[in-house]
Amino acid sequence: MSEKRENIFTLQGEDLRHMILEACDYFEQHKESINDLNVFPVPDGDTGTNMSLTLKAAAGELLSVSSRSIGEVAGIAARSSLMGARGNSGVIFSQLFRGIARGLAGKDEANLYEVGRAFQYGIVYAYNAVSRPIEGTILTVAREIARGSREAIQSSLNFIGLFQIALESGKRALDRTPELLPALKEAGVVDAGGLGLIVFLEGCLQSLLKNASHELETIELTQGSSLKEPERRTPGDGGIFRDEAAANLTEEFDERYPYCTELLIKGKGLSVKKIRSELGKLGESLLVAGEKEIVKVHIHTADPGRILQICLQRGSIHDIKIDNMNDQFIKTRWGSRSGEKNLKGAENTERTSGVAVPLLADQIGIVAISSGDGLTDIFTGMGAHKIIAGGQSMNPSVEDIVEAIQSLPSEMIIVLPNNNNIRLAAEQAVKLVEKEVVVVDTRSLPQGLAALLAFDPAVSLSQNHVEMYQRARQVKTGEVTFAVRDARINNIQVKKDNIIGLSDGELLAQGKTVNGTTADLIKAMFTGEEEILSLFYGREITSSQADQLVGKIETEYPSLEVELHYGGQPLYYYLFSLE
Amino acid sequence: MAEIRIVTDSTAFLPQEKLDEYKIKVVPLYVNFSDEIIIDGSIENKVFFAKIRQSSKLPFTSQPSPGDFVKAYESIIKNGDEVISIHISSGMSGTVESAASAKKMLASDSISVVDSCSTSAGLAMLVTAAAKAIKEGKSRDEITTMLEKLKKKIKIYFVPATLEYLKKGGRIGGAQALLGTILQIKPVLMVKNGKVDVFDKVRTMKKALKRIVDELPEKTEGIQEVAILQAEAEETVVTLKNLIEERLPGIRSVIFDLSPVIGTHAGPGVVGLAFLQE
Repeated sequence: MSEKRENIFTLQGEDLRHMILEACDYFEQHKESINDLNVFPVPDGDTGTNMSLTLKAAAGELLSVSSRSIGEVAGIAARSSLMGARGNSGVIFSQLFRGIARGLAGKDEANLYEVGRAFQYGIVYAYNAVSRPIEGTILTVAREIARGSREAIQSSLNFIGLFQIALESGKRALDRTPELLPALKEAGVVDAGGLGLIVFLEGCLQSLLKNASHELETIELTQGSSLKEPERRTPGDGGIFRDEAAANLTEEFDERYPYCTELLIKGKGLSVKKIRSELGKLGESLLVAGEKEIVKVHIHTADPGRILQICLQRGSIHDIKIDNMNDQFIKTRWGSRSGEKNLKGAENTERTSGVAVPLLADQIGIVAISSGDGLTDIFTGMGAHKIIAGGQSMNPSVEDIVEAIQSLPSEMIIVLPNNNNIRLAAEQAVKLVEKEVVVVDTRSLPQGLAALLAFDPAVSLSQNHVEMYQRARQVKTGEVTFAVRDARINNIQVKKDNIIGLSDGELLAQGKTVNGTTADLIKAMFTGEEEILSLFYGREITSSQADQLVGKIETEYPSLEVELHYGGQPLYYYLFSLE
Repeated sequence: MAEIRIVTDSTAFLPQEKLDEYKIKVVPLYVNFSDEIIIDGSIENKVFFAKIRQSSKLPFTSQPSPGDFVKAYESIIKNGDEVISIHISSGMSGTVESAASAKKMLASDSISVVDSCSTSAGLAMLVTAAAKAIKEGKSRDEITTMLEKLKKKIKIYFVPATLEYLKKGGRIGGAQALLGTILQIKPVLMVKNGKVDVFDKVRTMKKALKRIVDELPEKTEGIQEVAILQAEAEETVVTLKNLIEERLPGIRSVIFDLSPVIGTHAGPGVVGLAFLQE
C-alpha cells in the first residue's frame, strides 16, 4: 500500500490498480443481488456474474504488475477486460475501460481534469459498441456518471469528491431507467447493468477512501439504499436487448427516419451542446456524446447526407456507418465488411459441412455456441466445425470466441451466438482476429439450427450471412424454464419457481408442471400453419416424460409432425422450434 | 441419302410412340437383383418398385457394355447412316464411356457421342430436340453443337423421400454431407455439372416443394413445358402440380416417370422438376 493521503489530487498507476482490484472484490460481494434482477426472471445470462467475470479478467492481469504508469495500468485493464468480457453488459463494461485507457494513454499520472476527460472517452467507446443504443440502460447510467464527473471538475474537488458526485449523478440516472424503458417499468425494476456500473464505482471509491484513511461507513451504499425497496429491482442485459429480441425483423423505428446514421467527429473545441441542437430537428433517437476533441453522433434520420455535411463543418468525420433500418439484415456492420469475395472452392462439388470432411483454409468454418451434449451433437452433425460450450448456463468470454475462431484452419468464419446475450461478445471477437468473420444474429439454439440448415458452402460469406439470418428468423422458438424470482412480465404476474414458457423473448405461458406449461406455450404459438415441431428435451427431463408430452401434442395437433431429440441442455426443460 | 439416327439409353424413358416416330434406338441399362437381372424399362414401374420394396437387399444398377453399343451402332452404320448417341451424364453412370469405347472399337467417324450431363426428362428433352433437328435437315455437326448449348439450359431439381437410396447406390455426390444429420431434413437436390448436388435443405416436404417451384421462371414466356418427375409419389405430384399452376397459370406440365434405374437411385417417393431455362 502506498502511504495514505488526505486529499487525492492526482491519480497514479498504483492508485488505479488498487481501485480496480478493490472494486473487483467489492463487486464479487454484490453480484448475486444484481443477478437476481433480470427483467426476465430466467436462470441464465446473469448480468452480475458476467460483469464480475469481466472485471476479474482485468484484476487477474493487474495482480501481477506493479510500478506502472496510469496509462499502462488502464491499457492492461482495457485489454484484459475485453478478452474476458462476457455477456452484453460485460462487453459494454470493457468498452468503457477501453475508452478510459484511450483517455489516459501515455500519461504517468492523471489529474482531475484528465480523468474526467477519460470518462468521456469511455462513453464514446461504450456507445460505439452497441449498434443501436437504447436509453434506460447501462449506457444511460454511464453517460450520467460522465456528466457528473464533468460537473465535479468544475467544482474543483479532489478525486473522492469526483467519484461521489459522479456516483450521485449515476444513481439518479439509474432511478430514472424505468421511465426510459417500458419493460423495466412493467417489471418494476431498474437496469441491472446500470446498477453494476454503480457498484463498480462504489468499489473504486472505497479504495480511494481506504487510501485516504476515511472510514468505510461514510459511503452510502447503493446496495443498502436501492435494493431494500422491493419494487426497485433491476433487469439484466435484457434492458438493452430484450426489446430488440422481441421485435424480430420488424424492429420498431419511425418510418419517417429510416437511416440509422453513426459517426465520430474529431476536431478542436467541439461543443456537444451545439451539435446536439443543430442535429436535433433532423431526426430522432439522437445521441451526441463526447468532449472537445472527439464526439460520437448517433441519429435516425431521413437525410443522412445532411447529417454528414453538418458534422463535416465541425471537424473531420470517422467511422461513418449508415444503415437503412428497412433492410437491416442485409447490411449489418459485419455483413458489409465481409465483402463480396466468392469462395475459391466454389466449383468443388464436394460439400464440406459434414463432420468427416476436413475443413480447408479457403472454406467457410462455422463456430457455434451450444449448451447440452445432445444439442452439441446435433450442431456438429449439421456441420458446425467448432462448438463453444456455454450458452445459457455460462456466457463464453470474448477470448473463448476468439480462440474458437483461431482454432479453425479457415480464413472465413461464421459465428452463431445462439443467444441474445452473446452477440456483443461475438462482435468484439470479430474485431480481434485477422480472419473474415461474420456473426449471424441467432438468438436461441433452435434459431441457430435453422441458420445452420441454410448454410451453403458454395456461396460467399456475405450471401450466407443474409440467407442464414433470414432462415433463422423464419422459425418460432420456444423455451421452457423456471422463474428465479417473482416478476411482472407482459402483464403476467410470475411467481418464483413457477415454470415459464417464452417464445422469442416473450412470456406466453406459466404453470406448475413442465409438460403442462410447454403444451400451453405451444398452444399460444401454434397458428395452424406450422408443419413441424422439433423438440429438444433438457438434462432434467427423462425420455419417458418427453414421450408423454409428444403423445399429448400429437393428439392435439394431428397436422403437426413432432420430432423429439435429446438436447441435454441445463436449466431449460425444453427448447423447441415451430415452423 | 444418308440418314442421321439417334441412339439413347433407357434412362431417357421415352414412350414407345416417340421412339417409333423418330426411329430412336434405345440401349438399356440393367438392374441387378440378387436373383435376377432386369433390363431397364422392360417391366412396368409398379411391378418393379414392388420388387424393390420386397427385396431385402437394394439392387445395383449397371451400364450397358461397349458390346451392347457396338451392336446398336453397327445396325445403323452398316447402311451408311450416321449416329448421334446421347446419354445419361458421365457424372452418374459409365454409359457414356461404354458408348465411347464402342465408337473406338468400330473406328467409325460417323458416330457422335454426347454426354447429356443430365438424365430422365432432361435427357429426353435433348433427344427430342435432336430428333426434331434431324427432321429439319440439320447436319450431325450442327446438331451436336446445338445439343452442347441446349444441355446447359436444362434444370433438374428433385426431392427424394429419403437419402437412403442415393446413399446405398453411391450416387449421392454433394449430398454426402447431409448424412451425418440427426434432425429430419428434406434435402432439395439438383443436377449440377452432371452430378447430384445439394440445392437446399429444409425441414418439411411442403417447404421442399415450394422451394423447387420457386426455381421456375416467373413468366411462362421463358419456358415451354415443365416435366414433373416422379416415382411412386402420386399424391405429392398432385400438390406439386397445383403449386406449378399457381406460379405459372396455363403452363403445360407433363408427368414423367423415372426409369427403374433412376428410380433405384432416387428411391420411391421422389418428385422433381425438369425444365429448359432460356
